Amino acid sequence: MLWQIIKKQALILLRNPVQILLLLGLPIILITILGTALSNWMDGESIEINVKVAMIEQEDEEKQVNQFISDIESGVIPETAIEMIKETAPQIAPIGILKDSVFKSEELANMIDLHEAKPSEKEELLDDSSFAAVIEVPENFTYDTLQTIMLHEDISPELRVYHNEQQEIGANIVSDILTQFQEQMTFGVFLSEKGIDLDAIQIDTNELPGEVKRINQGNPISSKDYYTIGMAVMNVLFMATAIGWISFHEKATHVFDRVIIANVSKWIYFLGILLSGMIFAFIQLLVLFSFAWIVFDVTWPDLTSFLIVSLFISISVGGLTVLLAAISYRLNSENIIDFFGSVVVSLMAFIGGSFFPIGDSSKLLQTLGDLTPNGAGMSAYLTILRGEGISEVSHHLLYILGFAISSIIIGALSFPKRGASA
Amino acid sequence: MLELVDSTKSFKKVKAVKKLNMFIEKGEIVGLLGPNGAGKSTAISMLSSLMEPTSGDVRYCNKSILKNPAPLRKILGMVPQEIALYEDLTAIENLQFFGRLYRMKGKELQRKIDVILELIGLTDHRKDIVKKFSGGMKRRLNIGVALLHDPEVIIMDEPTVGIDPQSRNYILETVKRLNEERQMTVLYTSHYMEEVEFLCDRIYIMDKGNLIASGTKQEIKQILSAENTISIKADRWNDAFIASIESSPTIHRIKVEEKEITIVVPKEVNMFSELAKMAEQAGLELRSIDINSPTLEDVFLHLTGRALRD
Ligand SMILES: Nc1ncnc2c1ncn2[C@@H]1O[C@H](COP(=O)(O)OP(=O)(O)O)[C@@H](O)[C@H]1O
Ligand SMILES: [Mg+2]
Repeated sequence: MLWQIIKKQALILLRNPVQILLLLGLPIILITILGTALSNWMDGESIEINVKVAMIEQEDEEKQVNQFISDIESGVIPETAIEMIKETAPQIAPIGILKDSVFKSEELANMIDLHEAKPSEKEELLDDSSFAAVIEVPENFTYDTLQTIMLHEDISPELRVYHNEQQEIGANIVSDILTQFQEQMTFGVFLSEKGIDLDAIQIDTNELPGEVKRINQGNPISSKDYYTIGMAVMNVLFMATAIGWISFHEKATHVFDRVIIANVSKWIYFLGILLSGMIFAFIQLLVLFSFAWIVFDVTWPDLTSFLIVSLFISISVGGLTVLLAAISYRLNSENIIDFFGSVVVSLMAFIGGSFFPIGDSSKLLQTLGDLTPNGAGMSAYLTILRGEGISEVSHHLLYILGFAISSIIIGALSFPKRGASA
Repeated sequence: MLELVDSTKSFKKVKAVKKLNMFIEKGEIVGLLGPNGAGKSTAISMLSSLMEPTSGDVRYCNKSILKNPAPLRKILGMVPQEIALYEDLTAIENLQFFGRLYRMKGKELQRKIDVILELIGLTDHRKDIVKKFSGGMKRRLNIGVALLHDPEVIIMDEPTVGIDPQSRNYILETVKRLNEERQMTVLYTSHYMEEVEFLCDRIYIMDKGNLIASGTKQEIKQILSAENTISIKADRWNDAFIASIESSPTIHRIKVEEKEITIVVPKEVNMFSELAKMAEQAGLELRSIDINSPTLEDVFLHLTGRALRD
């Protein structure tokens, strides 16, 4: 019986090309437009953005370089090579380059506010939410890097980068910069700009300094990632209006009367609406994210976490669906559904951060956004997309579930007793 | 078998049905007649367990269905006044869905669907989307859906509204056949006199929430036994003629149409000469004056002073 109701809803939905376009076509178009148009802004080339970055050095680079040189001198390397190394080593000391030629470069100086800190300040800095990222240079980083580049030792030293999850944009910018830095080192562009003869120092391009180790906030979020999630959590709400609308029309056309006369429990019917909303929302999310995966390369580090978050969002859409259907039944009017679809969804999407990371600018807005099911869903998606585990988003999931259950209960309470009653 | 007992239904603003008593016995075709807004749909919504009466009772086989409508629902087919179908689904898909609501499935359902499609003459259109159907086809499917589970009682709410005469005849013949061949009990609601006259053994007439007459066709027509209905025909009317008819003390009820005036007068009065005189004085040429045996329409005119389709 239940299955019949769901199957029938699916058939009706599929025969409405306008609905399909709204549910799948529109978000895809929006992801494409927003993801592309705002990629520069999102991906961190805007000068209006001011990112605070802290750098903690667990070493003294000058000492490291000197140490490296004196160790070489006492080694077995030929005299001429030692001379050359002595000359170039200070010039390719990685931290100096990163600080002076990257963060303090003309292009970035306006945007990046680099704060050099002592190791003792580390805890304090990690707690300070005004920093988008904290870069920690481990002990012997410079020494190891020089060894890797110049002596082809297989050490691969790594920088530690702590990203602040509240500052999505800033954290992304830092990630991008470090990645670029890494690439420039790799291809030697940077060094050749400095007028260094690459052949002479024989850089091994396979062994790189400054590999970014992502400890807290892992993978950077691109604008396409961001808008895929933003549009998906927004447009999935339209599934609630679509199914709610179909359900209301079953009442308006008295089909619902036929269901009642057939002695089918109204709770079966209610459950049918709930499950339809849920299942179709889930399918909609899968279609949207599959599209984003194929076309925009939006990939999930952990598919299970992704599916769990999607499931919870779908449950809340199911809850909204029965809520809308029940209220429209009660009021005998589809206005509530229209109002929800036009005004409420936009509002929720805006607060939830579907259009831009509104929560970055204020803690209050972030909290407000997470109080919408789509906003909470979005935060959960963003967190797991960065590579965090599902336990990191459990509070969001709980909230979404609570929202869904409340909607279902209110919907059940307002569902009319009989068919044609006023 | 199925009855309303002193049933009243009040909505926020209107009392749609006032203390209505009504019953249907097994094998009957009962007509429920009345103009729009009379309370017919409300009455049958209560009879079919869709609506609870504000006061009074609804009984099936002498048991109230208010607490337990299941026994009635099992044997009841309902044709709503509206086209209660999924317009985006095909005829077959609609029948399948509603059939499954009655827990029919597989071969049995398939066979039943074929029979129904044949009965309502939609076999050739079974795979068409209902949205593309004509009004008559939709109406027929609307009826077909209610017949799927072989109901013993079928309640039809104005099943022929807004369709072509051919479809209408088809539906009327089908209803008659179902009653004769399968002893199906029928409650047929309409505001068309001819339909109820053609189909029904017993008739209820409602107006403004009240029952204004009930009984067999003959009994109801006897209400008019003391009166004659006279139809006067002419190409056009003038004010003087209508004024003199309206002021005549012997004429009870008047209905003026474009080329026909219907009046009700006591049997003993000879209207021929009087009407001829009136016409002459008004300078009007009459085509014909006929005395008709009363129709239900006349009964309604008699009872309410209004034509049924006002
Ligand atoms: N659900 C309802 N809510 C409020 N008023 C209603 C409702 N259904 C019917 N009515 C009113 O009750 C009266 C009788 O309506 P109805 O039973 O539909 O008459 P009929 O079927 O004879 O045309 C009308 O005045 C109508 O406006
Ligand atoms: Mg009606």
